[in-house]
Amino acid sequence: MKSRRLGITAALAAGAVLALLLSAYASGSGTVGSGKASATKSVCGLGNGKKAKGAPIKLGGIFTLVPGVDFTTIGKVAKAYFDCVNDNGGINGRPISYKLYTEQLKPDQDAALARKLATSDKVVGVVGSTSLIECAVNKNYWKQKGYYVVIAGVPGECFGSPNYSAVNMGPRYSDIGAAQALVRHGAKSIVIDSPNTIAAYANGGALLVAKAAGLPSKSFGENLPITDPNSIVQKLVQAAGPNGGVILDFTPESATPLMQAAIQQGVVDRVTWASSTPVADDALAKQFGAFDNGRILINSEFTLLDSTGPDMTLMRQVMKKYTPSIPVQSFAQMGFLVGKVVTDALLSIKGPVTKASYNAAVLKLRNIKSDIWCKPWYFWKLPYHIPNNTDITAGYKAGHVVQIDGCIPIQAVDPQLVQIRKWEKQYKLNTG
Amino acid sequence: MSSLVAFQIFGVDWEFLKPYIVLGFALGGVYALSGVGLVVLYRATGVLNLSFGAIGAAGSLISWYLVNHTGTPNWLAYLVCVAFGGVVTLAYGVFFGPAFAARDPLVKMMGTLGLALILLGLMAWRAPVDASTVRILTLPTSSWRYQIGNVYVTWTQIMALGLALALTVGTTAFLRFTGLGTAMRALANDREISATLGVPVRKVEAAAWFGSGLVAGSAGLLLADQLQTLDYSALTFLVISALAAALIGRLRSLWATLVGGIVIGLVQALLTPYLSISAYRGMTPFVLAIVALLWLARHRVVVISRTAR
Repeated sequence: MKSRRLGITAALAAGAVLALLLSAYASGSGTVGSGKASATKSVCGLGNGKKAKGAPIKLGGIFTLVPGVDFTTIGKVAKAYFDCVNDNGGINGRPISYKLYTEQLKPDQDAALARKLATSDKVVGVVGSTSLIECAVNKNYWKQKGYYVVIAGVPGECFGSPNYSAVNMGPRYSDIGAAQALVRHGAKSIVIDSPNTIAAYANGGALLVAKAAGLPSKSFGENLPITDPNSIVQKLVQAAGPNGGVILDFTPESATPLMQAAIQQGVVDRVTWASSTPVADDALAKQFGAFDNGRILINSEFTLLDSTGPDMTLMRQVMKKYTPSIPVQSFAQMGFLVGKVVTDALLSIKGPVTKASYNAAVLKLRNIKSDIWCKPWYFWKLPYHIPNNTDITAGYKAGHVVQIDGCIPIQAVDPQLVQIRKWEKQYKLNTG
Repeated sequence: MSSLVAFQIFGVDWEFLKPYIVLGFALGGVYALSGVGLVVLYRATGVLNLSFGAIGAAGSLISWYLVNHTGTPNWLAYLVCVAFGGVVTLAYGVFFGPAFAARDPLVKMMGTLGLALILLGLMAWRAPVDASTVRILTLPTSSWRYQIGNVYVTWTQIMALGLALALTVGTTAFLRFTGLGTAMRALANDREISATLGVPVRKVEAAAWFGSGLVAGSAGLLLADQLQTLDYSALTFLVISALAAALIGRLRSLWATLVGGIVIGLVQALLTPYLSISAYRGMTPFVLAIVALLWLARHRVVVISRTAR
């Protein structure tokens, strides 16, 4: 009887100790994104670990979702960041409410969604939009309504309007980076293939790089979704010729069948492959071991996905908690950066958060630092913005995306980039 | 040899075109296979099955899921894909076939469009196309390949063409020499009279639905491999090329459908390297179907009359 009582007492004591240990661990681990921001640690917004209450601050964005192109990942990760901000005190106590709308490449739909955001949802800011046509359709509307939109840009209009500033460099500049990488690594020609909707804009820069290097070049466009990857891959390899270079400028949904076709057709080793940023993804690196060790040169607009910098560490934590189904990838980096800079703008507002105060705050963003970018980012009163214009070159190795070349400025083959670099110096936009 | 000369006359390099001819035959084989499946069903039931591609797409997605998420052996997953095609098509035919039997061909066709849209919705729900999921279904036969000059030919490509040919030969023989085949031909001529003569209409139609479904499942598997993607919309719209092949065969001739499917695949592939027309190669099925229909109708007499009031 005595021994039984002793046993119960011991079990209770052990339980109490375990409970104490667990609570100590729980308080030590804290909420994701909480704590004090420092050079080695990033936090979500205020980072105070308190749930935001009160009237939500409304934000929204428009994203392309069609077979072969899915940009909603960017919005989903931006939303994850805002959820983290909301769990860490929000914007001085107010939570952010973020609405994602999808569009199917219909201009009337894009125009209607913009009006819904502005007049029906009454958002204070338009944030994160990533679309193949939205910039062309709505740039004048945002100008008229006074919205300054932080986006991940795709077509030329996103990099040619005073009302947009993109966290990424978009396909044209990313393809220039890929073409530079091919030239550096000794390719004898440059062939580039993009979706037809953006080919005229996206491919042009890479052709100029080839011209500057004295290399032959050829440009192709494809209708999406891709329905004959084997023929397309043959076409590209034939056009590039022996020791040539082929740039694939597609999102993973469309790049995947082309890369798989290259393996199946046995042409991976016939050329050097290159790509714009979207295929910088560990899931693809695992799938496509045939492209390991420099067989593909990826122009990465952002740091490596397994980098241990403070923002990348926070991004992985945020995604693990708020969007566990989305793998860490370059689109996620875009979403995270959108969330970060928009939160910076919101927290810089003195007084009530309104459409006017938010958009005024956005226009004063400069020297925004992140270990995800090579150089600081900005949104300023300029006729157009190309703030992300320095990048790294990555490749695949043993199932991971690895760095091949460090930060290199995008070759200023476009007069717009020459002008941007002048403004950057003049207004000290990214001098740190 | 004559083809070689022809290519030289037009200044086109044979070596340059060789890979596209191989790829065109392979893709054309899948179109032909699907076209023959459509024609067999149409001849027996009068239904042009627009859900053919969607059924194959859903089957191949299920197959991919079984292989990648449940550890099911590959061969069993492929079998499930083919069986899925057969069962779903049979179920549709058994439940909705009789209700649509007396309706216009257009109404019958729209019924299958409904099935296609339901399947598309289900696939969009359960297997959305997104940047974060890599879905590839490669048949083991694709890693068995041999080289002809600069071109690799895989066994899947040979299989696609061989299966289309075998199905055409087999179905032609089946329709001509078996009792069920004869019954199907009788149904194609006149459903009512066949029923009066004692043909078990429902059983014969069910067999046609099931057989056509098995072909849909097989075509889905082969196309998923050839397209290197499990993008359900791309796989679903396989039906456009198959439909064009069936139209070239005037929904009657299995051999003309076979040839039509292969020609569509070939032309599409051969247009790929030519920059000026490459972007329009998606029009190939429509253009060829229209040309074929106009050609086949060239001797028909069109009577225009006005009824006096």
